[in-house]
Amino acid sequence: MSNIAGKAYAMNVITPIRWYMTWINKVIFLVAQKRPSTLNGLMTLSLIHYARWVIIGRNQFPHLSPQQPKEKLNYSYMLFFSNFNGSWAQYVDSFTFAIPSGLDLFWKWNIRYPKSVPLTPFHSYIQFNQIQTDHYYTAYPLAAANDVKAAKRVKTALIEFDTQFGNADPDQFFKQYKALLRGLQHDMGDMQPTPIISLAEQAKGH
Amino acid sequence: MGNVSNNAYALTCLSPIKKGHYSGTAYSDEVRRRLQQWGLHEQSPMAKVPQTYLTRFFVLDDVYYESLPGTDFGGTWYDILSIFSDRFRRAALPKEDHLESKYLVWCCNLHGDMDTYLRAMWHSIGDDIRSLWEFCYGFEDVKGADTFVHYIKQCQLSASLFFVGSNDASLEEQLKGLYLKQEFSRFAAEHQGLPPAELQQAYRAFIERVQPQNLAGPSWRPGQSRP
Repeated sequence: MSNIAGKAYAMNVITPIRWYMTWINKVIFLVAQKRPSTLNGLMTLSLIHYARWVIIGRNQFPHLSPQQPKEKLNYSYMLFFSNFNGSWAQYVDSFTFAIPSGLDLFWKWNIRYPKSVPLTPFHSYIQFNQIQTDHYYTAYPLAAANDVKAAKRVKTALIEFDTQFGNADPDQFFKQYKALLRGLQHDMGDMQPTPIISLAEQAKGH
Repeated sequence: MGNVSNNAYALTCLSPIKKGHYSGTAYSDEVRRRLQQWGLHEQSPMAKVPQTYLTRFFVLDDVYYESLPGTDFGGTWYDILSIFSDRFRRAALPKEDHLESKYLVWCCNLHGDMDTYLRAMWHSIGDDIRSLWEFCYGFEDVKGADTFVHYIKQCQLSASLFFVGSNDASLEEQLKGLYLKQEFSRFAAEHQGLPPAELQQAYRAFIERVQPQNLAGPSWRPGQSRP
């Protein structure tokens, strides 16, 4: 079991929501999806690879066979899945400090949501409702989300530079090469398996 | 649709697990055991599935709720009413829910079209798929790629909101970019202070080696855990 794969952490949170309140959340999510500017606060949390919210109606759990018993639930459920870099506490705290009102908007109608401020009850709420991951895989364990974004910029700039100045005379090449490095200075850097590539891997003794 | 963000796709799937035992172990625990046996990083079966960004599996045994008093709708109203009768306090307590089945939850962030992805997955790791899902309701009807796609669609849930904080380029593009970032950073650090002609010569050799435009050429492998 591991919530960690390289530099990524997998968070799974499942929280009950009154079935007759789910439409409010769905409208809020729809607006957020249609108007990306509403997610600017989330964009500032550049430690996130991908995240999603899924609402399951109390009668919408997949039912695939007559032999499978039907669910008899009082509540609908909201699932939150996130892939982020850093520790659990860093992530939860950064959410609280960066977008407290956004968090409250998304979870407001969930049962006994304590609000994102103050921190301790919010920590408890996430801890109590978090489920551990049994297998977690990332295609790039060495890279943080910022590395993936930076890599795209490096690739584009390098190809452009090579096309324009790769075969230029040495002095012009030199001048433009320095300009390239100046332009990419925030995107460069060695990626290493630090500090611990995976707790599960460490436990296995690799 | 909430599952799609440009070229990235959010697949969420809940597969109900049958009640029963395998060699004395509950099916759900056996599924969990098999998942935990899967290798890490480049050893994971999912490293063989094209266009997988990040993915996870877990067994959902039951639903849970947080039991400390929160900011529930009507909470203050119930607090006042409970002065007059205890039944109002009890009415404000959350109800207890339990699932009838346990579920194998699969959450996947992928590039491109879901049907293509699932077909490629079946052809890449068909044995691992059969081993993982064999105790799930409805999986007995899965005989090939097409029926696997149909089965997963039956288990699929739509995302209400999918947020892409990274990017939606193909996995080959992302891995090539990371490879170039790593190699070019090293090149720049190792070739400081060289005269222009010498630097350009080293640069040409570097470009020939890394082949920036060749996605099939030198790159990181999916799941690569060592630089």
